[in-house]
Order: sequence, then structure tokens, then C-alpha cells
Amino acid sequence: MGRTAPTYRQALDERLKRWETFERLLTTPKEREAFALLRSGARRYVAQATQVGSPDLLESILLSVLLDIAQRLPPRDADAD
Amino acid sequence: MPGEAWLLDITDASDGRSVLLWTKDRGSGAVRSEAVAFRPPIYAAAPRTDRTALARDLRNDPLVDEVVERTERPSLFDTRPVTLLAVRPCSNRSRRTIAEKIDRRGDFHRFTLYDVDLTAPQLYHLTHDLYPFAPVVRRNGAWVVTEPAELVDYELPPLRLAPLEVRWTGGTRLPGPGDRITEIRLGPERLEGAEEELVRALPSEIARLDPDVVLTDGGDALDLPWLYAGAARYGLSDAEFVLGRVPSRWSPLRGARSYMSYGRVLHSAAAFNLPGRFHFDRANSVLFEDIELPGLIDAARLSRLSLQSVVRQSPGTSFSAMEIAEAVRSGVRIPWKKNRPERFRTAEHMVSADRGGTILRPPVGVHDHLDEFDFASLFPQIMVRHNLSAETLDCPCCPKSPHIAPELGYRSCTKRVGLLPRTLLPLLTHRAALKAAMRASPLGSPERRRLHGRVKMLKWILVTAFGYQGYRNARFGRIECHEAINAYARELFADMVREAERAGYRLLHGIVDSMWLAPGPGCVPAEEFARTIGERYRLPLGYEGRYRWVVFLPTVSDGFGVPNRYYGVYESGEFKLRGIGGRRHDTTGVARRLEGEILQILAKARDASEFRHLVPRALARADRFAERLREGDWPRTDLTIARRTTAAVDDYAVFTDTVSALYQSRAIGRLLEPGEKVRYVVLERRSRSWSNRVRLEGTMHGDERYDIDAYLELLAREVETLLAPFGVTRAGLLARWGARPAPPRDRYTSPSRPRQLRLATG
Repeated sequence: MGRTAPTYRQALDERLKRWETFERLLTTPKEREAFALLRSGARRYVAQATQVGSPDLLESILLSVLLDIAQRLPPRDADAD
Repeated sequence: MPGEAWLLDITDASDGRSVLLWTKDRGSGAVRSEAVAFRPPIYAAAPRTDRTALARDLRNDPLVDEVVERTERPSLFDTRPVTLLAVRPCSNRSRRTIAEKIDRRGDFHRFTLYDVDLTAPQLYHLTHDLYPFAPVVRRNGAWVVTEPAELVDYELPPLRLAPLEVRWTGGTRLPGPGDRITEIRLGPERLEGAEEELVRALPSEIARLDPDVVLTDGGDALDLPWLYAGAARYGLSDAEFVLGRVPSRWSPLRGARSYMSYGRVLHSAAAFNLPGRFHFDRANSVLFEDIELPGLIDAARLSRLSLQSVVRQSPGTSFSAMEIAEAVRSGVRIPWKKNRPERFRTAEHMVSADRGGTILRPPVGVHDHLDEFDFASLFPQIMVRHNLSAETLDCPCCPKSPHIAPELGYRSCTKRVGLLPRTLLPLLTHRAALKAAMRASPLGSPERRRLHGRVKMLKWILVTAFGYQGYRNARFGRIECHEAINAYARELFADMVREAERAGYRLLHGIVDSMWLAPGPGCVPAEEFARTIGERYRLPLGYEGRYRWVVFLPTVSDGFGVPNRYYGVYESGEFKLRGIGGRRHDTTGVARRLEGEILQILAKARDASEFRHLVPRALARADRFAERLREGDWPRTDLTIARRTTAAVDDYAVFTDTVSALYQSRAIGRLLEPGEKVRYVVLERRSRSWSNRVRLEGTMHGDERYDIDAYLELLAREVETLLAPFGVTRAGLLARWGARPAPPRDRYTSPSRPRQLRLATG
């Protein structure tokens, strides 16, 4: 309604749609699962990415996906530092 | 102080040179009208070189009575006085024609016109310190109000209400070709007989009952046009067939139209007014469905708009009128066309500025013991607190203003209070007072319901106050205001994440001005948290209550939570439902009933774990509904599906239940426009014949066989919505109930409908 720029959510959906072509050529279930994880990671942080309002869509997507992966890592060992 | 009378309304008089003041006497209750000569001027600002010639031409114009030069500051943006031409028309009806002439003469951009689309009644209110429903006394031959419009606790005049309903051959409400009026119900009266007799009798019946408000359900589209057509058929003149309190022409005030609003196609029927009475058509009012008389009267008083306009228009119109009233009070004229284009901005700025408030995605599933907090009227509060208004934003006088919109850098004026905050502040005070009174009145009392209606009306008006800032035609709107409000709101929300943590809570979900917090051990008590935050940020934060449990629901597409779809029960036992069936207008009776019963079962749970234990019982109830539905004798009225049409009947590309119903409607001579609602029961959803597929409401006999699978599908969808987080799926339910899957939706082609053919092949 009356908006000029698409919302981050809309831009993200559009980009993920484009990535489906990439996904179609993945050949193992493991790769496909991993790809689904990226997609859900990007969607998980829609609110936070919107708050940034960056004109760089990829920056927001990458940040979301990386954070999603990072928070799935096992807790860091204090001695490893 | 009570007046001698109430001012009910001011309307245009038919002579075009005066207005009619309608008053209701306090003692006798009689309604009188009095004509007062009143022809307010319109104003034109023109460069000096054009002004003399323009004034000369206007003086020779037969539509113009008088042209006078005046020097004043007509616009909010004017820093120096300018010379204006005050142009008084010979008739109030030619205000617009004269304005258009002047505008054309200035090539549509050189002259600025003021006060053009304000009506004479509106201007009479504003220039004589009157308002609708004011108590008035007679002083020196004029009516004077005895108390201010802003008063919260005022006495309403006793209004006589009378429902009006016409019935046609066979007692139906849906006349077919050749049908005649067979019955008219007016208040307690029921007139039956031949059409001509009825039409001739109606004016005297109305005059005898003399209602102040005539209530109809579809009067604009159905009852009134039929009655007037009948009157014409039997040779009755305008002066003989009078339904208002004075004779008037029968033509509708406004033509029918379809329009888009917030992504929906809506329809408004032609409007028929009954001068001297108010006509409320429940089916043709954006507001009347929701808001009751006390709320509407509040809006009329505060906006100085006739109650009839308030009922017919959107809350945005009321808010605009309130801004206009405030502007006129401060000596500003009302611009006709907004001559204020948006500034050029970079794409980067656009992306950054064009955003709404913060909306999180809630964790799907059932949660217990959450606390909910809402900032009260957050956006209007922000506008008031940061002095956001079209003329106060980036003003030349305050380059060092400390009020700077986060991320965007727009400054607001510190020297004068903007029109928007000045209009909003009394509304916020008014609403707060009503809300306090509501909370103090006993639950379930008529008084509380009335106050609730008034609070709701003001809420809508405040919501549009924000929305209008982003609307290009809003008279005092400015897109930068809209952006600044959102930026302040986002900033506040981000602060709340840490504030909540510091107070011992965790933020689970949030939408713009609402927060759902999980209290941790030793957290600050909720009431205290709300008070401290409210004081620290100088924005009132309300504690809505603690939930026994609340369920956040997922999207179908990605399984994450939908921000605005949840249901829960507060510790007080009160439900909160958002985005589920019962909240939506188009939910079918049977689904609504099932939802209600499931919620009653789940309401017994005191926490999340008890909730999970109750899910199987909820499912068992759904099974019972499915079983009874299969028996084929569910009351048909409970199966009526209502759908808003989105296009004309021939423009649909897919043959659906709705299209079938539209064909049936057309067959009986009632062509529905886009945005109108159609109601039907599904008989055989696989049928390709429009006459067999559904049955239009109003043509039902009540013993039709309905499509069991279609209604099982409806139930399954409802149950899935409520219980999806607990592994319940529509497909699973349908399999369990032994329902056949829905037929595929395919393109519908008809060789006689070229447009559909094009859609189908293209």
C-alpha cells in the first residue's frame, strides 16, 4: 500500500526464490538439507535485518545466516582461547 | 449547565444561501429547523501581477457575489502575511465551480485556493463556536453552546430510533424481476398491502413516528432506491413523498463506487440522506458495524462534522476535520490541494526511511506465565512528544533542535507546537479519561460497553492520524512525519530489549508497541516495570496482564511464528484472540461455533502443561462436529459462507463457489459490484453448473443438501489454525474424517466471455 521501496521481507522472498534454481541442481539429500537450513536462517532474523535497514540485501542475508549457524555451534571451550 | 435545547445538526438549505440549524427542545423533545443566511467565501492567493485582473474578472462572474482583498497568513508554512481575495459565491452550491475556474485561470499552479471543500454547515460550526450535539441556549437571537465539545461526561439528547425494512413478494429481502413491495416495517409498525398503498402511506407513518435516526440494513442499496422508484411510478412528487423532515430531491447524495483500502476491494452503495433525520445504513458504513452511537457522537462533536457524515465516512475524515477545526481556530485557512511535493532523496535514504515499526516473529507453541505490555497510543504519543507535524519538521528556525529522528536526522521545531500535536493532545486526554472511566465501571455493564465503544472510536481516529501522514492527498500530511514516527518507535523498541533484561525479563515477542515478556526469578514486578519505563521514556506503558497460557501460531510457508496470530487466556480469565477464525468477518458459523467450543475446553488449562493435556479433548470435540456434519442436517444458516467479491462477475478467471453465487445473484436481477458481499451455502463443490454448485442466501428453502466434504474442509482448516503447533494438520484431520480431498482449482473458460478466454489462454 503506497510503499516505494519493497520491505526487507519482500526482497528476501524474491532473492530466495532466485536461489531455488541453485537448489535444483543439488544432488544429495545432505546438501538439500543444508540448503534448507540457510533459507530458514535467513528467515529467522527478518525483524533484526529490517531494523538495520541496509540497502545491501546480501549483507543482511549473510549476517542472518551466519548468526543462525554460529548459534548452533557447540558452546566454546574456555581453554581453547 | 444544561441548555434549552440540543443542536442536532446543521445542513445545507435548499436555497443555497443559508444553512438549517436543527435543534431538539429539552422540554418537549420537538425538533425544529431554522434557516440562517450564511454564504462563507473561498480564498485565493495570487501573485500581485495576476491579482487585479483576477479580481476584476471574478466581479463580473455571475456566480460571484462579492470579492474583497484581505491580508493575512493563510498557510501553516507562511512566515509573512500575503494578500488574499475573499470570494463570496452567490450560492453555496457553486463554491467548487468558482474554485475550478480560478484554478484553471492560474494554469493549475499559480494560485493557491483555500476553504474550497469545506461545506457551509462545517464552516458555520467552526465560525460560530458550535458543534453537533451541543447543549445550547438562545442569546441575542443566536444559539450559544453552554459547555465545551471536549467534555467527556456529557448528557445526550434522547434520540428516537426506528428501523426501516422493506419486504418484497414472498416476504423476501432480495427482490427479483417483477417483484413488488409487499410489506414495510417501520419501528414497531408493520404495513402490509399493495405496493402503491404502502408507498403512499409511508410518508405519513414516518411523520407520525417522527424518528431522529432511521436504521436500515442495506437501505442505500435496496430499501430507499426501491421506495423512491415506487413513489415515481405512482406519480408522487418530491413534495408529497417526504421521508426526512423537509422535502428534498430523491437523488442519492453520492454515487455507488468500488474502491481499494488496505489491500481489500470494498464497495459503498449510493448514499441516501433524509434531511432532518439521520440515516444509518448498517451495510453501507465503514464504522457502524463496529462502533455504536455514543462513539459516533463523540467523533461528530470533536470533528464538528455532521453525525451523518461521520457515519458515512472513514475515521480518517473525522480526523482531517479535527485538524481543520484546530487550524481554523488558530486562524489558518484550509488549502484545497496539497501543493507540497516530496523532496528528492537518495535510494539509500529511501530504503532506510521507508520502514514500519519493529515486528518480531514469536516462538511457535504454547507458553505460560507471560506478561504483556502495551505502549498506550504510541504513535500519537510520539507525535506529541517530539512535536512531529508537517510544518514543524526541519523548520528553518531551529537548526539546533535536540529532537532528531533516529537514523533519519529530521529535526523538529522547538519554538511552536505543530498542528498535529495540538490536534492530538486533547484526543489523547479524552481517550485516557474514557479508558479510566471504563476500567472503573463494572464488567459487562451497559455503561462499560458504551464507554468501550467510545474508546474504540477514538482509537480508530488516532490510528488514522498516523496513517494519514503517509497518504499523499492528506491535507496536512507529510511523508517525513510518517517516517520519523516509525524511526522513533523502532529506537524505543530496541531499547526495550535491554530494559526488559535489566528488569529480569526476557523478550519473547513484540509488535511495534506491544511486548510479551517472560518473567525470570526475582524480576521487577510488572506494574512497577511499566511505571518506571513510562516515566523514563515519558511514554505511557500499560500492563495488560499475565497470561495463564498463550499460543503463538506458525505460517504455512516457513513454519516461523506469525506476528499477529495468537490466542491466550489472561489470569483474569479473559481471552485474547488475534488473527484466528472468530476474529475474522468471513468465518462461517459452523467453524466459529467449533472454535468457540475448543477455546472453552482449552480455557480450563492453568498452564502450558495442562494445555497440552487438553489438546486430545479439543480434537475429540472436532470429531463430534465432523460426525454431526456428515449426518447432513446441520442448520443451513450456520453454513452460510460470506465472501467479498473482488471483481465483476465476468472478470473472474477461475470458476469458484463465489462466481456461481454471483451468477445466481445476477439471474435474479441483482448485479453485485466489486467489494460487495455475497452469501451462499455450498451444495456441490465439484459441480460445473453455477445453479447447482451453491445456493444464494435469501433463495434458500432450508432443506437443500449441502456438500459435506466442503464443510469438513472448513472445519479442518479451523482446527489446524488453532492446533498446528501440536502436530495437527488439515490433511491428517480430513483423512481421519474420511473426507474426499478438494477438487483442483482450474481455469474456467467460457467462449461467450472474451475477457475470461484471454485470461485462460494468456
